[in-house]
Amino acid sequence: MRVVIAEDEALLRQGLELMLGQAGFDVEAAVADADELERIVAEKNPDVVITDIRMGPTFTEDGMVAALRIRVNHPDTAVMVLSQYVQRRYVRQLLVPATGGVGYLLKQRITDVDAFCENLRTIAAGGTALDPEVVAVMVDRARLSHDDVAKLTPRQREVLTLMAEGRSNAWIANRLVLSEKAVVRHISNIYEALGLPVDADDHRRVLAVIRYLAG
Amino acid sequence: MHVRSPVAYSLDHALLLIGATGVVLAVGFLALVLPRTSIGWIYVLAVIIFWTFLAAGLLAWHRRPSNGIGVLIVLGGFALYLGILADTGVPLLVVVAEVCATLVLAVTVHLLHAFPSGQLRGTFSRATVISGYVVCTVLQAPHYLFAPHNPAHSLGIVDRPDLLNLGLWVQRGAGFLVVAATVILLISRLLRSDATRRRVLVPLFGYGIFAILFWPVGQVALAGVPGVTPLLVVLLQFLIIGGVPIAFSLGVLRGGFARTNELQELGAWLGTAGSARPALTSAVARTLGDDTARILFWMAEREAYVDASGVPAALPAANSDRAWVTVELDGRLVGAIEYDALLIADRRLAQTAGRVVAIAVDRQRLIVELLTSQRELRDSRSRLVLAAEQERRRIARDLHDGIQVQLVLLALQAGQLAHAAGMTNEFRRDATALREGIDSAAGGLREFVHAVVPSTLVEHGLSAAVEDLVDRMPVPTTLELGIGDESLPHAIESAAYFVLAEGLANTLKHSHATTCAVRLNHTDGWLHIDVHDNGIGGAAFDNGVGLSGLNDRVDALGGTLRLTSSTANGTRLSAELPCG
Repeated sequence: MRVVIAEDEALLRQGLELMLGQAGFDVEAAVADADELERIVAEKNPDVVITDIRMGPTFTEDGMVAALRIRVNHPDTAVMVLSQYVQRRYVRQLLVPATGGVGYLLKQRITDVDAFCENLRTIAAGGTALDPEVVAVMVDRARLSHDDVAKLTPRQREVLTLMAEGRSNAWIANRLVLSEKAVVRHISNIYEALGLPVDADDHRRVLAVIRYLAG
Repeated sequence: MHVRSPVAYSLDHALLLIGATGVVLAVGFLALVLPRTSIGWIYVLAVIIFWTFLAAGLLAWHRRPSNGIGVLIVLGGFALYLGILADTGVPLLVVVAEVCATLVLAVTVHLLHAFPSGQLRGTFSRATVISGYVVCTVLQAPHYLFAPHNPAHSLGIVDRPDLLNLGLWVQRGAGFLVVAATVILLISRLLRSDATRRRVLVPLFGYGIFAILFWPVGQVALAGVPGVTPLLVVLLQFLIIGGVPIAFSLGVLRGGFARTNELQELGAWLGTAGSARPALTSAVARTLGDDTARILFWMAEREAYVDASGVPAALPAANSDRAWVTVELDGRLVGAIEYDALLIADRRLAQTAGRVVAIAVDRQRLIVELLTSQRELRDSRSRLVLAAEQERRRIARDLHDGIQVQLVLLALQAGQLAHAAGMTNEFRRDATALREGIDSAAGGLREFVHAVVPSTLVEHGLSAAVEDLVDRMPVPTTLELGIGDESLPHAIESAAYFVLAEGLANTLKHSHATTCAVRLNHTDGWLHIDVHDNGIGGAAFDNGVGLSGLNDRVDALGGTLRLTSSTANGTRLSAELPCG
């Protein structure tokens, strides 16, 4: 899998490059600012882009702006946005266009190498990966503002949360010690409770849930 | 408030007297002329023009007693009057009329040169005006000395049309030179004046020059035009010259040339009590008849002048259109009066005004000094807050770019150790535990940095940061976001953010509220922030370091912070911050 990294901190950039190389990824380029990132993506058309939010040239949210543009201009490239801090607004922005192949994690998640690589494979396959922290914020907020979410059982909310993080049914079943059939049942109950259209495609189903929660 | 002194009333009486004289002279003139002529209406028109001069001149004189323009307009009226006496048939009056036939043109030149102060400035200007009078009186001589013999021309000594013609051309040539010199001078003055004044001066100067030129040029140019009788030319001459007094008195009354009070009235102003008294500057401006006049106050400590709002002010350059006089009290410099030198030719007027108001200037100076030091204090507090904000952002950035990155790298290495080949399971467990420990330290540091300056605020601005605050509230909280993603000054954004954060934290900790509402609006350069809960109240500035610290911070930025808290209506924390 071909990866491009954008991170302005040189040590971290090299660390990521090394770690991904050891984990079997093919790192095509590692750049330090957002303009360079967009240029290299246009040139190499990688499978996955990993980018920090705050980097040059303006050191505000250049990485995010570049990520949003890559989502539109290179729909085949999955985008993983890393940040010191996660918030709902960026989830909402990253889901335009409403397609998969996108991830949004706290920067520190890269240290759990297995989980991080798993996340990269998920988004490269068209799935999503959202940080548990931002999902927790979104679910809590939805519980306070949407009666539909407030009426879900605690177990249903657990399933909803894990779904929004981008976990597969098997992963959820394993984590909650349930059968996959039970997970599927929970999911269809959740869909009914939230009034979401049922979709056979897993990725699209998850996207609908995230968009619902992101408000 | 309008104060008038006995002297002003006395002046008014004198002006009334002049007006009455004008009426008597006009009636006398008509009584002599009307029985002798079949075209009486042209004489009535001449009298009306004469009255126009008098009325306009007296009005300007009354409104601005210390300005000479009114006097000149009145003189112009009498010059015109003397010129029309020729047809009375009274020999002495006919002589006067022959000498003064075009005197009104010289007065018009004088008016153009003297506007707006009423006094001539510079040798060139003075010489031109004197030449104008010479051209209109002395060079007028051939008209009556060499005119075809005619009972009306009682001064005629010899009938020499050739000499008359020569004299006529000499007068026209000299007159043209006077007009040319005047035009050059007026244009140079226009170039030096500002746009506001130019709006008054351009039409005025233009009309004046036109009126002067029309008298001789119109006569020659219209002579050959079919259907134009000499009577019509005279009619046009009268009408056009009649516009001159109107133009000049309008010029005096417009363009900031307000009525002036006399110095005595400034004294009367000093005597009136307290709040009924108009501001010092406007009283002095009124006395000088110069709206742009202002008083500067001497700050001895800084050895500099400041204006009424305490802003340092420079005195005008020596050769500019503005001039100044110092104001002293008991030999001590207390201030200066700066005024329009084009409008006020006599600096003694400003000096005397300064002496009259010296005590008031000194008192005002103390007030300005106090206001200035107050503002300096506020500025210095605001600078402290800005510096603190910058420092906070620097610390947050250093932590973010430095230690935080190192911690992530360390955790990454620990994670890689856990995956290294040929290690025991126990080693892997320990390495993983190490990674998690470092992660948790990084998490703690992240929270700390967030509390110093939220990275959201730095990366995406206030609206995103507030949205995130509200998102994380465990009680239902509505957000009315009346601001876009525009970037506001950093210190204002931070202050607003921490006011909201403090308000929300207060709601969570103490209020037992079940709902909360947050509002942010940006109108007219002010940011309005409001956090309102439905809890039990009980919040006060003095029972938390957070709130009183915030109050200082908001205050130093020139904003206000308000807290109302009651059992019935919950707690409301609102702030207004300037962000223009």
